[in-house]
Amino acid sequence: MNDVLLEIKNLHAGIEGKEILKGVDLVVRRGEVHAVMGPNGAGKSTLGAVLAGRPDYKVTEGSVIYDGRDLLAMAPEERSWAGLFLSFQYPIEIPGVSITNFMKAAINARRKAQGLEELKPAEFLKLLKEKMAFVQMKGEFAKREVNVGFSGGEKKRNEIFQMAMLDPAFAILDETDSGLDVDALKIVADGVNALRTPEKSIMIITHYQKLLEYIQPDVVHVLKDGRIVKTAGRELADRIWAEGFESIND
Amino acid sequence: MIERTYIIGRDEVPCLVRLGEGESLRWTIVALPGTSCRLSIEIDLDGPGASVDLAGLYLCRESEDVQINVLLKHNSGGCVSRQLFKGIVGGTARASFDGLIYVKQDAQKTKAYQENHTILLSDKAVVESRPQLEIYADDVECSHGATSGFLNADELFYMRSRGIREEEARRLQMISFISPVAERLSEDLKAEIYDSLA
Repeated sequence: MNDVLLEIKNLHAGIEGKEILKGVDLVVRRGEVHAVMGPNGAGKSTLGAVLAGRPDYKVTEGSVIYDGRDLLAMAPEERSWAGLFLSFQYPIEIPGVSITNFMKAAINARRKAQGLEELKPAEFLKLLKEKMAFVQMKGEFAKREVNVGFSGGEKKRNEIFQMAMLDPAFAILDETDSGLDVDALKIVADGVNALRTPEKSIMIITHYQKLLEYIQPDVVHVLKDGRIVKTAGRELADRIWAEGFESIND
Repeated sequence: MIERTYIIGRDEVPCLVRLGEGESLRWTIVALPGTSCRLSIEIDLDGPGASVDLAGLYLCRESEDVQINVLLKHNSGGCVSRQLFKGIVGGTARASFDGLIYVKQDAQKTKAYQENHTILLSDKAVVESRPQLEIYADDVECSHGATSGFLNADELFYMRSRGIREEEARRLQMISFISPVAERLSEDLKAEIYDSLA
């Protein structure tokens, strides 16, 4: 098995004709936790959206190899089946669709793509209950419509719940920490830490270092104006906290 | 309470109904894919306390032509009418909804609500919505709303990012959209409708 899970080379991408990523290079090895930090507007969320395959973002140059495959040629659902997961900064509300039906559709779609039979209702229920307990969601949560009427913290916990259900090989957390109180932050951090194994990798997109106190990154990148301007160990996050992004230029 | 479901083309829908004091009616009217129709219904609320709960669903996926006309007359005071019509229109289909709520001068304490929402699945599909209010009484509570649009792209991407295939994600969105009307239907009919959305 190749040591490298994700290799981004000279990635240029944008939306509505505006270039936001201007040549990103980044390598994530299996088992590593990476933090991508940077000021607002640097292109952090664009990076997450492009990796997950959001259709309105256009890649104009460069390549992304994920687990030996051309990620950019894959549909969003194919990326999910291959183990990629994006925790949305602003989770989407889907009125009329319950969490249970949403997750059942997601899990069975992947099983079908993998040539497996649908999960039996009892097995699905067991998995659902186990993961709900994991993010401290109560029984009625499964019946609620996806993100409808959820508080900010509940939406983020729902993202972590979905991540736990899908058990991804590569999870991207886009500002999952923003707007969370300390208790919710701990639930998120526990969820992420439980995912840490020697085979799995995580990319944490954030502009605070708060979450990084609970989830220790192996590598920290600073993204500024569409480019990675600095890559170092976790001490870089502390330096950003002390000095701000302005001081980090190369 | 008169409660009924009509499938256009299979069932004869009455074109005029008069409700007397305290009578109530709950109708659900469905136009399944492949059905073209010109439907006109008049419901008169003639006695105090009469109420109507009318819902409709039209699914036009190819080249159907569906025209629905509803005239709701509040001839007596203290009556309630609710209307909810939802449509999914694709291909080169056309669908129109004309709804007139008429409130007579002495029909005080009237409550009348009407909504018509449609989703367009193609650029060539055409929908028209003409909600109208004609109110001669002064102590009334009336509202009407109409929207039309395409399936939400953010919802679609969110579902696909969780591994749900694009076609299945679209179907889930449509099921979600029609659910306020579909939940009034029998399990068999619901299953028939959900299958037709695939």
